Amino acid sequence: MKALSTRAPQQPAAPGVRPRRFWSFRPQSDRDAGDAVVSNLLLHWFPSNVYKPSLAWTYSFWLGTASAALFLLLILSGLPLMFLYIPSVERAYQSVKDIEYVVTFGWWIRAVHRIAAHLMIVTVVLHLARVFYTGAYKNGVGQGQQREWNWVIGVVMLLLTLFLSFTGYLLPWDQLAYWAVTVGTNIASSVPFIGPTIRELLIGGRAIEQATLIRFYVLHIIVLPGALGGLFAYHMWRIRKDGGLARADTAAVLAEKRPTGVTASKTYTLLGVASGTAPTVTATSVEAPDLTVNAVPDLTRRALIVILGTFALISILASAIPSPLEEPANALVTPNPAKAPWYFLWLQEIVTDTTIRIGSFTINGAFLGGVILPGALIGLLTVWPWMDRTPRSVTGFWFARSRRTQNLVFTLLLLLIIAFTIVGLFLRGPYWHFYWPWEAWPNIPGRI
Amino acid sequence: MSDTTDPTQTDRRNFLLKLGTGAGIVAITAQTGASLRSLVPNITYDAPTTVKVGLPEEFPDGLKFLPDERVFVFRTGKTFHAISAVCTHLGCTVRAEALSRPEQTTVEGQPLRVTHRFSCPCHGSRYGGDGSNISGPAPTPLAWYRLSLASDDGQLVVDLADEVDHAFRLTLA
Repeated sequence: MKALSTRAPQQPAAPGVRPRRFWSFRPQSDRDAGDAVVSNLLLHWFPSNVYKPSLAWTYSFWLGTASAALFLLLILSGLPLMFLYIPSVERAYQSVKDIEYVVTFGWWIRAVHRIAAHLMIVTVVLHLARVFYTGAYKNGVGQGQQREWNWVIGVVMLLLTLFLSFTGYLLPWDQLAYWAVTVGTNIASSVPFIGPTIRELLIGGRAIEQATLIRFYVLHIIVLPGALGGLFAYHMWRIRKDGGLARADTAAVLAEKRPTGVTASKTYTLLGVASGTAPTVTATSVEAPDLTVNAVPDLTRRALIVILGTFALISILASAIPSPLEEPANALVTPNPAKAPWYFLWLQEIVTDTTIRIGSFTINGAFLGGVILPGALIGLLTVWPWMDRTPRSVTGFWFARSRRTQNLVFTLLLLLIIAFTIVGLFLRGPYWHFYWPWEAWPNIPGRI
Repeated sequence: MSDTTDPTQTDRRNFLLKLGTGAGIVAITAQTGASLRSLVPNITYDAPTTVKVGLPEEFPDGLKFLPDERVFVFRTGKTFHAISAVCTHLGCTVRAEALSRPEQTTVEGQPLRVTHRFSCPCHGSRYGGDGSNISGPAPTPLAWYRLSLASDDGQLVVDLADEVDHAFRLTLA
C-alpha cells in the first residue's frame, strides 16, 4: 500500500480498462475514492459520496448494517451446519445431537447460528422502530423518491426473518420443534374454507412427518434466504435511488437557511466523482462538498467496524450461552407448558385470549388472534407511510413534534407486544395458567 | 435493413415479437405451474382411522389413554365411550386430571359417570369430563368417536373418522 502514497493517478491503458487488480481503501485523491466504489463489484451498494451526518452512530445506530452482518453470519455458520445436519425424521435429532456433543466446535457453530438468529430478530425490529421514529419512510426534498416502497420491502423482510426462524427451529426435530409446527400450522388451518388446504400444502400431507421436515428444510436453506438476499440487495439499491438515508434530506432543509453558494469544478454523480473538467454546479444541499465525505473510506470503515463488532459479539455470546436441545419429537406427549420461542410468545398469548363467544356462535382464537390480528398489524404497518400526512420537512428527524401522535400509537403497539411477550415468558406455567414469578409451579407429572 | 419501413415487414416483425413473447409467457407459466403442482401431495400415507385397540376386558374401569390414536377410552362396567385427546383450539394433546370424587351426571339424556377433566398445556383450554369446553380458548367440545367390536376377534375398534354425539355408548351384552 505504500506505493500508493507517491503514485499519481494512472491513465487507463484503454478506455474502460483498469490497470490495477485491486482498489484502494486509502484513496489519495477524490478520483481514487470514487474509483474505489465505481470499479468495485462488492461496493456497488454504496454511493461514492455520503452526507456526513448520515454516518453518525446516534442517528441510525447502524441497525440495518448490523442486521445484514447477522444475515451474513447466519449464512456463514449455516454452511458447515448443512454438511452435518441430516433432514430425515429418523436422523435429524441425532445429527443435531452429534453437532452439539460430538463434532469439534459443532456446539459453537450451532450457538453462533442460533444466537445470530435471535439477535437478528431484535436488530430488524429495532431497525424498523428507528426508521419509524425518524420518519425515514417519508419522501423529503428529492425528486421521484419512493421511500414508502422501501419501507414495504422492509416489512416483508421482517416477515421473512421471522419465517426463517420458524422454519429453523423445526429442524432439530425435538419437542419444541414438533409442537411449534403443530400449533403454527393449525393456526393456518383455522382460516375458513381454505385453511385445511393451506396446512396440507405447508406440511405436505395431513400429519407432521418426513414431508413436513423436508419442506421446512428447503424453505430454510434455499427459498427464504434467497428471497431475503434478493430483497436485501433491492433494499440497498433503493436507498441510493431515494437519495441516501432520510437524514440527507435534512441537509436541504438547512441549506435554505445557510446557502453554501457556488462550488467550482466538481460533479458528484451516481457513478462516482469527476474532478477538474466538470461544469460548475451550485450546491445548496447534500452535494455541497463541506457536507459530504467519500464513501471510501469513511462509510466502509464504519460498516466494517459494525460488521466486525457484530461478529465479535456473537462469537463471544456463543461461547457463553449453550443452545438447548429438548427431548426428541414425540407426537404422543405435549410438553407442559408448551412454550413457543420468545419472539412468538406474544402470538401464543393472543391466540389464548381471543376466542370470542357471541351466543352460540364462536370464533376460534386461532383465527382471530393467529390470523386476523397479526394480519391487521402487518397491514397497518404496510400502509402507514400513506396514512402519514405530516410535512415532508420532518423527514429524517428523530421524534419530530408533528409526528407525536403516530409515534405514540406505534410505541403503544410495540409495548403491547413486549408486554404479551413478558407475560408469556415469565408469567405462564403448566396448562398456560398465570403464575407470578415468585409463585412456585405445582408439581405435575410429565406423563399422563 | 433498408425495408424496415415496409408495412408488411413491420407487421411480420411485430407478429414474431408477440409470438415469441407469448410463447415465453406460456412456457414460464406452465413450468411454474407444473413445479408448484408437484408440491400438492396426491397421496398421503396417513395412519388408518379405524384402529383395533385391544380386548374390552383389558380396559380398566375408568380411563385409559391411547397415545398413538390420541384418544381416551372410558369404561363404566360394560359401557364404553371414547373422547378425543386433541384440543379443538390448536391441536395439542390435552391431559386428563382425575377428579378427587367422581360425579354422576346426565349428558344428552344419558347417564355419565364423570371421573376426569381435561386441560391443554399449550394455551390453557379446559374441558369437563364429557369433553365440553369450559374455559380457555377452545372453541368447541372434544370430539367423541364411535366404538364398536371387531367381528373377527372381539377387540374394541375406535373409528377416528366417525364423530358421534355425547349420548353414544357401546354397551356389551
